[in-house]
Amino acid sequence: MDIKIALAGNPNSGKTTMFNDLTGSNQRVGNWPGVTVEKKEGRLKGRKDVIIQDLPGIYSLSPYTLEEVVSRTYLVNEHPDAIIDIVDGTNIERNLYLTTQLIELGIPVVIALNMVDLVRKNGDVIDLNKLGQALGCEVIATSALKGEGSKQAAERAAQLGAEHKAGQMPSVFNGSVEHAIAHIEESIQGKVSDQFLRWYAIKLFERDEKVIEELGLDKSLMSHIEEHIKDCEKEMDDDAESIITNQRYAYIAKVVQSAVRKKRSGTKLSTSDKIDRIVTNRILALPIFAAIMFVIYSIAMGSFPFSIGTMGTDWANDVLFGEWVPGLFDKLLIGAGDVLRVPEWLYALIQDGIVAGVGAVLGFVPQILVLCLLLSILEDIGYMARIAFIMDRIFRRFGLSGKSFIPLLVATGCGVPGIMSTRTIEQDRDRKMTIMTTGFIPCGAKIPIIGLFAGAIFNNSPWIATSAFFIGIAAVVISGIILKKFKAFAGEPAPFVMELPPYHAPSAGNVLRATWERGWSFIKRAGTVILISSIVLWFLQGYGNVNYGVEGAAFQFGAVDDNNHSLLRYIGDGIAWIFYPLGWIGDMAWKAAVATFTGLIAKEEVVNTFGVLYNYAGEVDLMDDSSPIWAAVRGDFGPITTYSFMIFNLLCAPCFAAMGAIKREMNNSKWTLAAIGWMCGFAYVAALITYQIGGLFTGEATFGIFTVIAFILLAGVIYLMVRKNSYKEDVIRLSGKHTANV
Amino acid sequence: MMPLTMASQGETNVIAKITGKDEVRQHLAELGFVTGERVTVLTQIAGNMILAVKDSRVALDKSMCNRIMVE
Repeated sequence: MDIKIALAGNPNSGKTTMFNDLTGSNQRVGNWPGVTVEKKEGRLKGRKDVIIQDLPGIYSLSPYTLEEVVSRTYLVNEHPDAIIDIVDGTNIERNLYLTTQLIELGIPVVIALNMVDLVRKNGDVIDLNKLGQALGCEVIATSALKGEGSKQAAERAAQLGAEHKAGQMPSVFNGSVEHAIAHIEESIQGKVSDQFLRWYAIKLFERDEKVIEELGLDKSLMSHIEEHIKDCEKEMDDDAESIITNQRYAYIAKVVQSAVRKKRSGTKLSTSDKIDRIVTNRILALPIFAAIMFVIYSIAMGSFPFSIGTMGTDWANDVLFGEWVPGLFDKLLIGAGDVLRVPEWLYALIQDGIVAGVGAVLGFVPQILVLCLLLSILEDIGYMARIAFIMDRIFRRFGLSGKSFIPLLVATGCGVPGIMSTRTIEQDRDRKMTIMTTGFIPCGAKIPIIGLFAGAIFNNSPWIATSAFFIGIAAVVISGIILKKFKAFAGEPAPFVMELPPYHAPSAGNVLRATWERGWSFIKRAGTVILISSIVLWFLQGYGNVNYGVEGAAFQFGAVDDNNHSLLRYIGDGIAWIFYPLGWIGDMAWKAAVATFTGLIAKEEVVNTFGVLYNYAGEVDLMDDSSPIWAAVRGDFGPITTYSFMIFNLLCAPCFAAMGAIKREMNNSKWTLAAIGWMCGFAYVAALITYQIGGLFTGEATFGIFTVIAFILLAGVIYLMVRKNSYKEDVIRLSGKHTANV
Repeated sequence: MMPLTMASQGETNVIAKITGKDEVRQHLAELGFVTGERVTVLTQIAGNMILAVKDSRVALDKSMCNRIMVE
């Protein structure tokens, strides 16, 4: 039998660091609460029979956010054999609040008093024996970061788990409270397993909905229990939940007083506080944030002498995939006297299909890695959590809370973790709205699209990337304002309550791990999904109707020289009409339609598709001209058409992976469809208005029926934004707990 | 007794009462905001505050700060 050990503790107390240390795995660690949004499993190093389970951080077993539900459900329903309770030694009082609840579960608990190195540095002294005695369990000093004590704690937990020996429960409650709980215990005895008697009794006392539902006690028993609770509430002149909370804290205060000796008393400003005084200052906060974001995007994607991301991507496109890789394959495939060693079609497949397609995507890896690296540093030092705080009062104006900002920021790397990180948002409708808008943010995979058009049409102007970023933000803001006026989303966003971790210097390991995790998923896709679709695309555009355009001739399948005669052309033509109102007209229409379609597989496919399509059609050789695609694209796209295409592709339904994440998080097919439908509709309307009205000014579009439609749509959007909100006085609903699949 | 929003930056006060009776209040308690606890205002932007309570730093928006009454 395997022994299951759960790691539980407050957010940001070092659970994942300890998990990595114990299992030798490489899970992502962040410096803001809520990095672990799913439970993860691993085996203890050197002990094949011990499974370690990492859980999202929780403050108590009465969950508030969705990620806390994940932890509680696991601890309560799956009964791990032992729990390692990770307690942040520098914030012991608050952390022990959860400890008192974990002990009540009747599962053996080992307390890992973590960050003990910082405790020592502060000059505080904690008496482990006294602490352990008061709580009825063993306490082991650990520093997960330095690898101190973790192993010992795990071994001890495994031993206790094997013996199923829970400690003596401390008497946390007293007086009439203990009296009432004992009474409840008595009345439910036999209905629940003895091990969990106390836990159920306390939860019934707190009137915990889930437990009441789970036990399904009969009416008379419930009213009997309710009487006990009412009596106690009357005597203490407080509600049941608060009574429990207060007694817990009172007990903890007593324990801490006897076992902990603090060197520093009172609240002296720490370095972290001093930094906060500046970066969250009422005047400086926003300029500092804007400056930091500008620097990050400049380094990753600008065209300054210090823009290492752009330099890397230029090099990858021009040299690596422009000369070296094609050259290498030429050497391999072409023998003496320019004779091909392989059939001609295979040579074409490799060079024009795979190298051109996959290369077009991989070329953007340097920019994405640099961007991910910089964002990971921001996250690791703890600034990300402050950003949520700063942005809160702004986001509140259009109906989102500051917590929605973190998913949006994460989505600049990849939409999938962005959508998943919405789990830290407490309120259901805030969460749904954030999920629906997160896909608008230009993610790493959309960056190639922006890069392609910035380079091809706009002479690498940094304003294109900036404008794409703002188009994303504007889409989020406009969606927020419009959606907020529908009944499903009406009401104030949930109050902002967030613990801010102390700043610390970035740890190279954490930053590189987070960067790698984000970057690797991108590269991995290039090797799998994109490789396969490159081959499929190459086939579809290289073969078609040999007799295309010949009058009276029947369809004859075969290799075609002009991809305007290819199978892809037929597919593209079939769907291109949908996009005529967006200005995708003429020779490029089917290419743009196909690219948009393949973009659903993965957004970088858009560029890949253009790479394959244009490389084949043009006479230019990749070896001679470094940016042959740019020239060809420039021939097909006017500036406004480009914007219409970019806007549609940036805002419409995200890739399949992100749609999967939306479905998982919404856990409701109606809401999933609503989210994807909203994005597609929004993208279509925005692109149509941009092309028809914008094109009218530049002369790219002519006045017609769609110009009228564009003006009507614009008026409609403005109406939806400014109309009166008839649901403003809705009550706060915190129903998030019941919706997601956990 | 006054709402915490009226306290100024750098001030330390003792929590007298937390008004309201919902999950948010319970969550505040889990974070350490309980009657009798000392709370220090570290920074404030337009009513939103970063507070020091027990040994942690917690950011609260104005509506929350208004519900915390200090002596």
